[in-house]
Amino acid sequence: MTAQIVAPKERKVAQKRIALTGNHAVALAVKMARAEVIAAYPITPQTPVVEKLAEYVNNGELDAEFIPVESEHSAMSAVIGASAMGARTFTETSSQGLGHMYENLPIAVGMRLPIVMGMAVRTYSAPINVWGDYSDVMSMRELGWIIYIAQNAQEAFDTVIQAYRVAEDSRVHLPAVVAYDGFWTSHVLQPLDVPEDEEEVMRYAPITRSWVKLDVDNPAQLGAVGTPEWYWEIRWQAVEALRASLKVIQEADEEYGKVFGRSYGLLTPYRLEDAELAIVAYGSIFGLVKKVVDRLRREGVRAGALRLRVIRPWPGDMFKKLLEHVDKVAVIDRAINHGGPLYGPMAVEIAATIQKPVYNVLATIGMRAIDSDMIYDAVVKIHRGLWVPNTPYTVGLRGYE
Amino acid sequence: MRVETVWLGRGGQGIVTATYIVANASIIDGFHAIANPEFGAERRGAPVKAFLTISKEPIEDQEPVKTPDVVVVFDDKLIDSMRFAIDAVKPGGYVIINTGKSPEEAKKLVGRDDVYLVVLDAIDIARRHVKLDVPNGPLAGAFSKVMGFPTLESIKQAFETQLGKAVEQNFAATKEAYEKAVVIPPARVDASAKPKGIISTTSAFLTGPYEIVGWREVNKAGAVFPGTSLFYTTGGWRIDKPVIDHSKCIMCRKCWLYCPDDAIIEAWREAEGPRGRKFRMKAIDFDYQYCKGCGVCAEVCPTGAIQMVREL
Repeated sequence: MTAQIVAPKERKVAQKRIALTGNHAVALAVKMARAEVIAAYPITPQTPVVEKLAEYVNNGELDAEFIPVESEHSAMSAVIGASAMGARTFTETSSQGLGHMYENLPIAVGMRLPIVMGMAVRTYSAPINVWGDYSDVMSMRELGWIIYIAQNAQEAFDTVIQAYRVAEDSRVHLPAVVAYDGFWTSHVLQPLDVPEDEEEVMRYAPITRSWVKLDVDNPAQLGAVGTPEWYWEIRWQAVEALRASLKVIQEADEEYGKVFGRSYGLLTPYRLEDAELAIVAYGSIFGLVKKVVDRLRREGVRAGALRLRVIRPWPGDMFKKLLEHVDKVAVIDRAINHGGPLYGPMAVEIAATIQKPVYNVLATIGMRAIDSDMIYDAVVKIHRGLWVPNTPYTVGLRGYE
Repeated sequence: MRVETVWLGRGGQGIVTATYIVANASIIDGFHAIANPEFGAERRGAPVKAFLTISKEPIEDQEPVKTPDVVVVFDDKLIDSMRFAIDAVKPGGYVIINTGKSPEEAKKLVGRDDVYLVVLDAIDIARRHVKLDVPNGPLAGAFSKVMGFPTLESIKQAFETQLGKAVEQNFAATKEAYEKAVVIPPARVDASAKPKGIISTTSAFLTGPYEIVGWREVNKAGAVFPGTSLFYTTGGWRIDKPVIDHSKCIMCRKCWLYCPDDAIIEAWREAEGPRGRKFRMKAIDFDYQYCKGCGVCAEVCPTGAIQMVREL
């Protein structure tokens, strides 16, 4: 975090430092972005977001329609309906809640609705596990949503605001999800800077209402039948919009940096310039990874790290450029790609992008605790050639070598 | 041997079932057959086409048929709008057509003299045996007659598996059609000639007069803006048309009230009084562009002034 924050004197917008959990930071961002319709069903570990937003609406701090739906399926349906009416909408989910919502996720894409969704990630049942890993968000990669993965409460706050600006941009008009670690971010109290004047957020991300919507003065039917003669073309527009959103995401991030003093990029490299070994990770554990890199550097290993912040659209060219000179790429995946070519979803995509073998490491599954020593041990094995590429290795799993 | 066929008709006429029955019967007879229907909006009355290929060899290429050996037309009013399918029949092939018109008239309608023309009033047969306007059983019978396969026994077996009901009635209709179908041989067959056209692989013609454009031009998010159904003339769907006897009509307008398609109109009519005086008076008429021939008007008419007359 520290490396990304510009010194306070350079900030254009006055900010105050407060302490919030990740969930409450997201709720605050939604409040500052003046969401107009919020429909969500509470599910661990996302519940505090919904509670906080209900409180904001109840207190009159946020002038929004709060729909306490009976399930996530209805939550997504409600925000699709509201967004199709031109409202700025928000919902939040986790794990099985996303699974229950799944049917409606591609509809938001096909109808090109700029819904913003938060996700405090949590693994899938069974056995029931309410704790955090990235199984849920990884299961929606193919649908056409913009997918952000934030590292901490500050970034979750900033990214929600950026997501509104990107999703509602007339070059994009796609739904966006901001994922962050269940518990390790969602329930961890951290310091963060928020703008003193909430209007600054609205000036940065004004509600464009430029998307295709229902309007009595210009009636249209949305989500109607797309016969085989039309479906592909309509869907391809969403494909192209997602591709084009890469530029918009970058612009929005840079602009955010100018106004608020923080920007993150599509990917966050760390000491990667001259690295011979790179550790790729996402979510809150990037802090541990950086610590490991520092330790390895002290020991004379030219190590570096790379954090995935935007995984959809996939910033492939940037990957190639950043990892071009790296001999060994280790990918720490936090979700299992059951029976896949590699056992981690991001390892598969990175291997396909850089067209080099990668070292696939699975960690934190079902929120199995991890510390920097465990990552260090794994990376040392890779560095010494004890592990071979394109083979799944685990950190923290008992009884597996 | 490989016979490729296209079956054209309207939703509700049993086109898909017909191909299933003929394919099923052919398989019973030891052939390989593949019936691959093309589904559109599955709306009653809307044009439908189905493909059926029968072969001695196993069929793996599940392609749409582009130049058929046989085209079966369930509704003679589709000939004009689906002329491309008639044109695509290979010289020396067959056009099997369901019509109430005479074979000479049907020949003029089809307008080709290098194919076998098979004329059959399948509606009449179906109405008598099955009490429904589904000409598929009789057309299967006509197909069997001209092609020599599948056998009638196999068709009966196929009815049992595909329909599972009214097998006797349907089979009686098929048998009668087998006997009654009129075959007109071609005046000339030039075996080396190519068909005039091909059946396009797009089914776009089923959905209306749209301009097919690329992904950049398609409405964003697939939004559909208000249009008109003015050009969807549904009058072609009729088998019977309503005809009014003005001398019996008391202008109660009950037909107008019940018409589901707004196809009852009031028009001025020249009339002659008892002493020979000519005058104009309001009279009930029909908008045949949109009348689907459902017969509700004839059903509700209290004086029996409206009669349904066979049109197809």
